[in-house]
Amino acid sequence: MDLTPDTDQIALQTATGDWCRTNMPLNGARDRPVGLWRDLESMGWTEMTAPGMDIDHATEALVFAELGRYLAPVALLSSAVATRWANPAPKTALALAAGNGIRIFDGEGATEALGLFGKFPGLIKLGNDAEMKPSLDLSTGLIRLTTSPTVNAIDHPHAALHLQLLSAAFAVGCADAACEMAADYAKLRQQFERPIGWFQALKHICSDMAVRAAVARSQLYFAACALDASEADAAFHVAAAKRLADQAALENGRANIQVHGGIGMTDEAVPHLCLKRAHLLQFIAPVENRMLLGDVA
Amino acid sequence: MDIGFSDEETRFRAECRDWLHSNIPGEKRPLDAVDAIAFDKDWQRRLFDAGWAGINWPSEYGGRGLSLVEQVIWLEEYAKAQAPWIGANFVGINHGGPTLILNASEEQKSFHLPRILSGEAIWCQGFSEPGAGSDLAGIKTSGRIEGEEIVINGSKIWTSFAHVADWQELVLRTESGSKRHAGLSWVICDMHTPGITVRPIRKMSGQTEFAEVFYDDVRIPLDNVVGGLGNGWKVAMSTLSFERGTGFIADQVKQSEEIAELIAKARASGRIEDDRIADRLAQMRAEVAALRAMTYRNISEVVRTGQPGPEASVIRLFTAELGQRLERMAVELMGEDVLDFAYGDDNAVHDYLRGFASTIAGGTAQIQRDIIGERLLGLPKSR
Repeated sequence: MDLTPDTDQIALQTATGDWCRTNMPLNGARDRPVGLWRDLESMGWTEMTAPGMDIDHATEALVFAELGRYLAPVALLSSAVATRWANPAPKTALALAAGNGIRIFDGEGATEALGLFGKFPGLIKLGNDAEMKPSLDLSTGLIRLTTSPTVNAIDHPHAALHLQLLSAAFAVGCADAACEMAADYAKLRQQFERPIGWFQALKHICSDMAVRAAVARSQLYFAACALDASEADAAFHVAAAKRLADQAALENGRANIQVHGGIGMTDEAVPHLCLKRAHLLQFIAPVENRMLLGDVA
Repeated sequence: MDIGFSDEETRFRAECRDWLHSNIPGEKRPLDAVDAIAFDKDWQRRLFDAGWAGINWPSEYGGRGLSLVEQVIWLEEYAKAQAPWIGANFVGINHGGPTLILNASEEQKSFHLPRILSGEAIWCQGFSEPGAGSDLAGIKTSGRIEGEEIVINGSKIWTSFAHVADWQELVLRTESGSKRHAGLSWVICDMHTPGITVRPIRKMSGQTEFAEVFYDDVRIPLDNVVGGLGNGWKVAMSTLSFERGTGFIADQVKQSEEIAELIAKARASGRIEDDRIADRLAQMRAEVAALRAMTYRNISEVVRTGQPGPEASVIRLFTAELGQRLERMAVELMGEDVLDFAYGDDNAVHDYLRGFASTIAGGTAQIQRDIIGERLLGLPKSR
């Protein structure tokens, strides 16, 4: 039993963070350069889940949490699952199927999209005539499909869990980002002649953010290991990780805006980017109560 | 990263389980400290004789000298087997003993540690005072040095098991006129010394488990100081890291059983059809799982680096608040039956009322949040 990353994993995690900070900073999430996807490809993040790479889920979770911290493109999630369980495509957009049609995110330059269709993930073909609209998450455009395309289902039982795990990792990163941003601001911003983080009312908001992030990250690691070991209750642990990560991302996203006060509600500041990302992540492989309540007599 | 255990650890787990299975007392532990003292001492003695006391304590003082992971396995199996709470031995085993291991002289260790492990000596804590609660550094109880003795005057409060204890880990002001964290000393106080008066205090759950302690010219040997005169704050704080390592494993296993029971109960009564109930139960089941993950992560960190990670301070707060949410849900599921509670009942209502202590004792939830904000996030100190 060891739930701490080893030296190689820490090195990979650090390298990912360093690259992101320089080349894909969070505050640029609403205006990513056209060539970003190619850069991500050349850095190997789109290929790391390929069957031949033999990278375990624990390592993936660490790297994706780091990518998620910088609000990396959500197509990394769908591409990672497509690369692992279907034919690798250059870029696979993210599909969210709802009662009123299908929403496609990060569709630029993608010919296919992956999402959950019922129990299993599936791939759909994208035409090139679709109209790109804005989305709540400003890092991605949105295409609305109203017709029902043919779905190529990926029926491996682990594929859906893989999508759930990686999007949980993204949410953990998002929750961490909001927590760090709030703490940094609370140290800097002065009112009543002292940093606002001096006041318990503000300090405790930040502490609760740290608790939520630590809880979600711990369960993420456990779930990744459970999936790696094909434990009988892996599906439960992945669901628990996703539930806690989504919650941490959403609640930290809101709290971060509160800590920032007036500037926090503006478009020019970045706190809203984390909150809006959290709202998108919550709809990727969402967790229903029965997944967490099942198998208890 | 992995969540598996080695063959050796798995064998050790089976050994723990087997012994517990055939040795757990048939009768329930009495609730009040006075009624339970014989039970607590007897049970601790049996654990000690069979080699289960102080699994990761040094073997020269009666421990097993095994690893932290084995200690965790033992505590997990202990809780799963629903073995009795260690009760009056709690302070000695979880706090006083570990502090002695880290700070005491050879003589102090070889006298006290085996007595703590065998249940022969019951310990209590003397930290809080009527005027020094969350602001612990405001301690006023004084120790005047006279030759080879310390003469103690003052009072301590919320001292669990004071009325049945033999020894006390007592923090007092040994430098007159000193302020805050300076001038404090951590001393071993014999509770049978003349001049000590104990006034037991009943809790709102009905038990008499803690007390107020008064010191009126109490004379104890100067040799009983641990870690040097004036170093009391440092000595008292040294145990926190020890406590954070494994202190909450039993709670966490207990909570995983509690949530399973609550779900089963809600299912049987049909209350689970209420989305608000189902939502909270699902949430708590995920949280209980995460608590285990967080504990494992912390223990892995200690094994790897010798120190708990910065997240260790989160475990205590999260465990306490999650425990209260579970206790509250259990009472809600009881409905009007909650009204039948009488002092002495050992049931969910009792646990709920007693559970208010978990966000107050040993540092309130608010103090824990200060610690997390200041040490984990680097926010400025409010005090």
